[in-house]
Amino acid sequence: MPSQITDDAQPRLARGVRFQIDPPTGQGVLLFPEGILELNETAQEILTRCDGRTLGEILSALAEEYETDLPTLAADVRETLADLERRKLVEFA
Amino acid sequence: MTAPRPYALLAELSYRCPLHCPYCSNPTQIRDDQELTTEEWRRVMREAAGLGVLQIGFSGGEPLVRRDLAEIVHDAREAKLYTNLITSGVGLDETRAYELRDAGLDSVQLSFQAADVDLADEIAGTRAHLRKLDAAAAVRAAGISLSLNFVIHRRNIDRLPQMIDLAETLDAKRVELANVQFYGWAFLNRAALFPTREQVAHAHEVATAAKERLAGAIDIFYVLPDYYERQPKPCLNGWGQRYLTVNPIGDVLPCPTASSAIPGLHFENVRGQSLDWIWRESESFNRFRGTEWMPEPCRSCPQKEIDFAGCRCQAALLTGDAANTDPVCTLSPNRALVDTVLRDLNLSPVAPPDWAPRMNPA
Repeated sequence: MPSQITDDAQPRLARGVRFQIDPPTGQGVLLFPEGILELNETAQEILTRCDGRTLGEILSALAEEYETDLPTLAADVRETLADLERRKLVEFA
Repeated sequence: MTAPRPYALLAELSYRCPLHCPYCSNPTQIRDDQELTTEEWRRVMREAAGLGVLQIGFSGGEPLVRRDLAEIVHDAREAKLYTNLITSGVGLDETRAYELRDAGLDSVQLSFQAADVDLADEIAGTRAHLRKLDAAAAVRAAGISLSLNFVIHRRNIDRLPQMIDLAETLDAKRVELANVQFYGWAFLNRAALFPTREQVAHAHEVATAAKERLAGAIDIFYVLPDYYERQPKPCLNGWGQRYLTVNPIGDVLPCPTASSAIPGLHFENVRGQSLDWIWRESESFNRFRGTEWMPEPCRSCPQKEIDFAGCRCQAALLTGDAANTDPVCTLSPNRALVDTVLRDLNLSPVAPPDWAPRMNPA
């Protein structure tokens, strides 16, 4: 069982990684040395809120905005962040 | 033909460079024309962003010889491009690193010739290695993401472990161990640079082991020497599909080595045409776009959408015709050209010849 990302972790972009909206598609992308990752909606919604907030705060904000039940949302968000961490695009403070 | 969307622009700011590496992919003959101005680069970068480009690599030669580099980086960021500086590090002190960071530079790819100062300086043809170590420190001090690049060849391929150690010491995030590809000066110096089959096999083992050991800490990319392969590399992900290069004098190239490797093809210049027109409409970008131009055996090959018939420059350099199948492919009627090179270099009992150091444009 991989270790769970805790609610007080502050996700942020790793050094050299830039998040922006791709003008032609309106879709979020991560840009990094020699690479581009097109983001799905979940990843985009999370990264828009990675501004120093903790995971717990990001989850509350998302739950409120999308009126989703928190456990399903939390699992989804944790999985997305873990994937981005594996790719070394996101780290936790 | 509908043109696809380009994602990355390689901006070769100057062919001038303080190093003289014998494997340099720059053209061996350069027209002594005026380099593009700051304003011209600004226009080119805006036009590139308009085409959909998201990333720009500043290369050369040595891009740091341009005194207006920070201004160009700033303009690239204004155009919403991700900026990567591909540099020898010579001239990259802390002041310059901070200046570039403040201009918005996202990452630096620093080249090393080896991990040992004597060998590195011999390959570079100048005392550069210690200055590169200082440059790495300056990049880290400025908080910019750092990658390392080593071009691997006969003289340094047995020193891979030391190179990997250096990447660890310098806290690099990513390291490329790229076997030399034979274009430009490297093609001229092929006999001196070519690694033996034993060297290549051993290096592959070393790189694979390091990749496993450092997983999670450093991303290691080992680029194979393609003459030893049986299938060609998917060069550029296809001609005119994702990448474009603008050279120091404004010629727009589907591939950085195309101007010297394919002399028969005319390349347009940003001083005469818009980048948009060149990308979509020009003969040079459409000549090898898609699969219609392909000869047999590629045309009926199930791999044609995977390797795109390999590399046009390699076909031109080895067979004399850029429209041939890359002769690295074992299905190519010209594969014997590659096998002959491999056989001669691996059987030859004599020491490899000296190389010719790269010369600067006049």
